[in-house]
Amino acid sequence: MATEIHAIPGARFMDPAVLARIGNLELVSRAVVDGFINGLHKTPYFGASVDFAEHRGYVPGDDIRRMDWKLWARTDRYYIKEYEAESNMNFSVLLDASKSMDYGSKGITKLDYARILTACLTNLVHHQRDRVGFVAFDTEVIEHVPPSAKHMETVLHVLDRLKAGRPGNLKEPLHKLAEHFGRRGVLVLISDLYDDPDAIVDAVQPLRFRGNDIIVFHVLDPTELEFGFSDAQPFEDLESGEQMPVVPDAFRDEYRSLVKAHIDALTQAFSAVRVDYTLLDTSKPLDFALFRYLSARSKMMKSRF
Amino acid sequence: MQFLAPLFFVALAGLAIPVLLHLTQREKKQIIRFPSLMFVRRIPYQSVRRRKIQHWLLLLVRVTALALIIFAFARPFIRQADLPIVPGAGARELVVLLDTSYSMGFGDRWESARAAAQDQIKRMGGSDRGSVVLFSSGADIAVRASMDRSPLAAAVAAAKPGSGATRYAPALKVAGGILAESTLPRREVVLISDFQRTGWRGEEGIRLPKGTVVTPVPVTGSQDRVNASVPAVSLARSTFSDQERVTVTAVVTNRADQPVSGTTLTLDVNGIKHGSKPVKLEPGGSSSVEFEPVLVGGRNMKATVTLSPDALAADNTFNFIISPTEPVHVTVVDRGSGGGGLYLARALAVGDAPRFEVVTKQLEALGDDDLRRSAAIVLNDVVVQPSQARRLQRYVEQGGGLFVAAGQRASWPQEVDILPGSIENPVDRTRGDAARVGALEYAHPVFEPFRAPRSGNFSTVPVYQYRKVTPAKDAQVLAKFDGVAPAVIERRVGSGRVLLWASALDTTWSDLPTRGVFVPFIHQSLRHLAGYAVPRPWLTVGQVLDASTAAVKQDAAQRVVLTPSGKRVPLQDEGSEVMELTEQGFYELRARDKDVVVVAANVDPAEGDLSMMDPKEIALAATGTGDSAGAQGGGTPLTPEAQERSQRLWWYLLIAGLLLLGADTLMSNRLAKT
Repeated sequence: MATEIHAIPGARFMDPAVLARIGNLELVSRAVVDGFINGLHKTPYFGASVDFAEHRGYVPGDDIRRMDWKLWARTDRYYIKEYEAESNMNFSVLLDASKSMDYGSKGITKLDYARILTACLTNLVHHQRDRVGFVAFDTEVIEHVPPSAKHMETVLHVLDRLKAGRPGNLKEPLHKLAEHFGRRGVLVLISDLYDDPDAIVDAVQPLRFRGNDIIVFHVLDPTELEFGFSDAQPFEDLESGEQMPVVPDAFRDEYRSLVKAHIDALTQAFSAVRVDYTLLDTSKPLDFALFRYLSARSKMMKSRF
Repeated sequence: MQFLAPLFFVALAGLAIPVLLHLTQREKKQIIRFPSLMFVRRIPYQSVRRRKIQHWLLLLVRVTALALIIFAFARPFIRQADLPIVPGAGARELVVLLDTSYSMGFGDRWESARAAAQDQIKRMGGSDRGSVVLFSSGADIAVRASMDRSPLAAAVAAAKPGSGATRYAPALKVAGGILAESTLPRREVVLISDFQRTGWRGEEGIRLPKGTVVTPVPVTGSQDRVNASVPAVSLARSTFSDQERVTVTAVVTNRADQPVSGTTLTLDVNGIKHGSKPVKLEPGGSSSVEFEPVLVGGRNMKATVTLSPDALAADNTFNFIISPTEPVHVTVVDRGSGGGGLYLARALAVGDAPRFEVVTKQLEALGDDDLRRSAAIVLNDVVVQPSQARRLQRYVEQGGGLFVAAGQRASWPQEVDILPGSIENPVDRTRGDAARVGALEYAHPVFEPFRAPRSGNFSTVPVYQYRKVTPAKDAQVLAKFDGVAPAVIERRVGSGRVLLWASALDTTWSDLPTRGVFVPFIHQSLRHLAGYAVPRPWLTVGQVLDASTAAVKQDAAQRVVLTPSGKRVPLQDEGSEVMELTEQGFYELRARDKDVVVVAANVDPAEGDLSMMDPKEIALAATGTGDSAGAQGGGTPLTPEAQERSQRLWWYLLIAGLLLLGADTLMSNRLAKT
């Protein structure tokens, strides 16, 4: 069954800042995800389900209960009947709730954007009957909802009261989480990734080694990308509180080149470890992120066959 | 450089306000909170570009002009100590201090001193300036800062010893003032004196300007000469056959190291020789000489005790005044016979310092002559009608004294408000404990004699009844019954006083008249109310004649003082009620249609002590170095006001500032056209 995406015109094209003002994450996620049908993607694994996939020859060790006796009666050969398994996969969002995420210049903070994105993805996955989980972290894990088919409401509730408060760090919480995600699944990491690219990849690698598919959404505010300040003013680091005088006019070009180099380095590093990396600008609609996710899943499925 | 009004520099801050506003108006201190400064490298903070000042010269001129004006208002001056001194070179500012105290008349001292002063004047160079200051207890500038030597020499030639005592401090202060205003590079003070120890108290805080040379010129002459003096006399009064007599006892002192013999002490009264006694004194000894009693024949008898002339004649004469003791005229107002005035009359009958001349009358019989003649009136438990009270009010307001004894019958009309308190109902203390007089104001003249221990105890006097008194607002309670109820209250009314005793002056209400404190209490009260002061038979040169307390109470414009040298000095020329005594002899204060007041003036007897001090001591104190002749350093602490006044730098600064403002106007007009 070919992957088919039905882009439903509606809320998912709305400005994220407008969505942020709605406040009700369930309503927002439903509005955005509405129209996506059940079973858009195939599971990458074969399993027990009602959808027949193929026959294959019996080899010693196969479960004789899966043998197609009717075909044996007709052909006097042993064939094993295989079916497409439904997803039933684990899907968790790892959301960076560090203080730096609490920044927004266009009416929506990166954290709000990430919360809406998480809600949408959770809603989308829930529609596909997958188990949804959620983890929020800064220097340590501050919220943890284990993956479950019944945890959709819980995740939305946790998202709703989530606030950024402390400086963040990827390595320690992600390494600790790797021990919890023993069962293979899909992990979506949403962060602004303010760290050295190699350090970020090192933080993500243990999750990857457990067989999880990882999708990284790099959320940045347009101002962080463009550095559109004009007057010379003191800047304060949201996480460290450090202040320094800055003359943006004299520094803008160099800043942009540094950010671009950072993004390129991340793209290259994640690509090397087969992690799907997507840069998200909070001024762009969520639709873009959802499509990026689904297309990434699509590629993943193709790569399975 | 120092400033007399440095607070004006606060205005300089005002100059900076526009500049500061310009520099700070575009500053923004809003902090931008940014997610991470990971990519933001640290760079030096560069402020926004300032607006350029186009006309720097105009700004400079304007600011300088305003600054100069502010400097001018701050009254700058250069401390004399900061001025460069070039010792031994250049013109000289010379101040000759010539001692004219009466001790300079000893032997040939005055001639030596005058010669020394003339010598100093002759040695003045062509560009030198000289001043002559004559000093004794005070200092007078005879000639100030003159380059012409003739007036200086004339001033010295005209000077002669006076009657004053030696005081070096005023002379050095005057010299310091002259030198401080001098701009000449060399400064010198020549002090010509006999350097008596009594003229220098050591710590007088005198400092001459830095670089001043102090040259002491001691003129001691021959010390081994006879010097006897009459430092004091004592007057003992007695009465014989209703005639008052005064016995004069003179003290004679020999300050020389050789005995005095063959000397005669003479007492003259009103220019007539009254007696003469030979005097013989050991070296450094003294004795007293008593003359025959002098019959006091009238007021202001001029008496003089004179010792035979010796090397120092001024202290051989002692002047004093003999006058009959003036009684204090008191009018006692009571209820006539049986009025309870016995104890009061007896109390006033005793004593002769002063004597009380008492007239007893009933209130209805009190005439204007009685009021005019009385220095004090005693209302002894009488009922006073409003018209009588108003007469008494006028009397008190014109300086009279009123003593009110509030017994059983005493009353005073409410509408005449001169009493120290309103007399209310009697308080009966015949049952139980009697009231006691306490809480005395010992600082007050009435109770001052009772201050010392065992000098009279009022608290042992029982008072069985007294009148309750509510004190007036401006009254002073001098004593209280049992420390609560006012007993003695005083109030000033106009020029006079009213004293209220809240009980009777007989034995019906208290035991006071029978106690020892009664007589001194009555005497002190009436002396105080009458404004009595013990007359002084003589004063010392340097003291002041206080015409306000003299018996001649008229406008100053109508009074004239006749000095011992025969000069007539209208009192208004002195500018006040006082006049400093500068001559030895008799001063006469005359007024139109009034008696003459005569005051005797004597020289300060301490000046007769010719013991000498080391002149270096004065040079050390005045210059700060021990070197006398040619001493360098130190400086008189001239007041900053005097230094500033002498330099007047503010005037130049103000002119410069105004000129710059004019230039600023021209420049700005020209720039505006272009």
